[in-house]
Amino acid sequence: MKMNKKLAEELELTFKDIEVSTPEDTKIEIFAHKEQVLTILRFLKDKGYNHLALISCVDWIEKAEFELVYILTPYLQDYEAYKEIGDIHLKMRIPRENPEFETVIPIFANAEPYEREIHELFGIKFAGHPRLTHLLLERDYAIPPFRKDFDTREYVKDVFDSIPPIKGEKK
Amino acid sequence: MDREQVIKALKDSGKWGHKYSFWVVYFCTGCGIIEIPPVITSRWDAERFGVIPVATPRQANLFLITGYVSLKTLRAIIRTYEQMPEPKYTVGFGSCPINGGMYWDSYNTIKHLDKYIPIDGWIAGCMPRPEAIFIAVTHLWTMIDKGMADAYKKYREQYKYYRRNQEMVLGELEWPPLYPIDEDE
Amino acid sequence: MVILLIVGSIVIGFMVGVLFLGFSRKIKARIHWRYGPPLYQPIIDIVKLFHQESVSHGFLFDFGILLSLGGAIVTLLFIPIGNIVPLHGSGGLLVVLYLMLIAPLGIALSSVEAANPNVSIGISRKFILALGYEIPFLLVALSVMTNYGTTSFVEIVELQRASHWGIISMPLSGIALLLILPVMMGMKPFDQVGAPQEISSGPEVEYGGIYLALSKIQHIYLIFIDIALFVALFMGGGSEPLTFFMKMLPIFLIVLLISTVYPRFRIEQAFNYCIKWPTIIAFLGLLLVIWR
Repeated sequence: MKMNKKLAEELELTFKDIEVSTPEDTKIEIFAHKEQVLTILRFLKDKGYNHLALISCVDWIEKAEFELVYILTPYLQDYEAYKEIGDIHLKMRIPRENPEFETVIPIFANAEPYEREIHELFGIKFAGHPRLTHLLLERDYAIPPFRKDFDTREYVKDVFDSIPPIKGEKK
Repeated sequence: MDREQVIKALKDSGKWGHKYSFWVVYFCTGCGIIEIPPVITSRWDAERFGVIPVATPRQANLFLITGYVSLKTLRAIIRTYEQMPEPKYTVGFGSCPINGGMYWDSYNTIKHLDKYIPIDGWIAGCMPRPEAIFIAVTHLWTMIDKGMADAYKKYREQYKYYRRNQEMVLGELEWPPLYPIDEDE
Repeated sequence: MVILLIVGSIVIGFMVGVLFLGFSRKIKARIHWRYGPPLYQPIIDIVKLFHQESVSHGFLFDFGILLSLGGAIVTLLFIPIGNIVPLHGSGGLLVVLYLMLIAPLGIALSSVEAANPNVSIGISRKFILALGYEIPFLLVALSVMTNYGTTSFVEIVELQRASHWGIISMPLSGIALLLILPVMMGMKPFDQVGAPQEISSGPEVEYGGIYLALSKIQHIYLIFIDIALFVALFMGGGSEPLTFFMKMLPIFLIVLLISTVYPRFRIEQAFNYCIKWPTIIAFLGLLLVIWR
């Protein structure tokens, strides 16, 4: 039996209501409910997945949902043992209206910039985050710019094209 | 240097100095900066033209803006430009500072750099070859000779409008105006 | 007559220093397989800097840079350029030892006024390096003074001409001074003070226009003084300026070639270097002189 299948079975036995699949030999995908995510992350961290590589966000505009993806890898562990399992993608969905979720900083401290980035690009609020301020952007946007309903061309026309050129002639 | 050049240099030594000694401020914007290391090292040797990179804006008199300019970079560019001593020359390198280039519909990249700081000349292309920098430099020589490289004077004269544009896109600026602005008019 | 000599040596020191600087840029370019700038490129740069707008940061900013340039020029006046010695008192070497500290002090005084953090780092590096090279330098000076029984440059040069060069009678001291020469000149393996990539050229970070020009001129004089010191103490000076410059050239070339090939040391590596080999060799040289 493959190593990742073994871990997938263990996950399914430990947690109820989660979908575990192994689309590739070195990848495990977990779909979980909102409430379970922190517990699963803690469980996986104890299993040796001690590195949060990335938090990603997908805007499913037809289903009115945001999908958060937590990508975990083992880091500075016994590499040979984990080589066959590979990465774990933990996915969860939250509604698009007033999106809010809990911060995972108590478990993975390096989640701080990722959550700030998602906050400013998608507008998801992370409860318990110490400082949800601007990370990359300079301006405030009415709709966060990475949402699917943000019209960049309209925005460029409104903001950048409306700035008048400097007249060349002297006063 | 032949006799004519010596006479020319003695007649207007300032112009001579500004022409043959461009000190470029180290400022990396976007992808165009990847063309600069070959230009200043063995392959193309910009020092032949007196072009060398310097580390601080106080010592520089040429500003190469090499690539797309995001809003955060624009803030740094304005501050760097205002710290450079006059006379100072700016050259936009690549198509992104000219009209946005491939970032023409980006939400966070300014499209026309000359709305925010004055530009003496443009190098079009994506990417321009390193030789284009030398063409730009020799072109600047001609412009300085004819007194046409006066973008920094334009900045002083039209500072009110430049400042207005900068504030329109960046919001409130945290540094004081470089030149006095007369509010009435 | 003295005034003529003073003006003459200032002008000659500047011209030769500029020539050396242009030459060094050309040689460096040829080592990189480049064509390089024209030989008079430093003059173009300085002319340009004099025509630029310059921003002052206060009274000390102006005063310190003038003090530094003045210190460099006064030091130059005590060093025999061939047979031109504008000021020859009896305490020549001792006076030079004191005066050589004025130029970096002036730069420190001036640039700290600009309140840039890079300046403070550069200045602290400068004084760490000075602490490093002053010990072997003083040992070398002591052995020279002991060997010839005088502190006057003119007499040292004449005594060398009567017998043989200082590098032959005191080989270890000569080697020690040659080893710390790049540190004193701030050339490449030891240019931590004005490192452009790390601390934005250090003390010069807020200099622009005339201030930068004065700083460059001061640096030109310092390079000239350091090499001239070696030539006067260990290579028999020169009966006329031209032979003196011909003797300076190989020394400058050695330092230049080292600087072109080697990357920059870290500051603690440079300090360790200074207090290790040059100090040991200089100390042995002093023992040798005393023993004889």
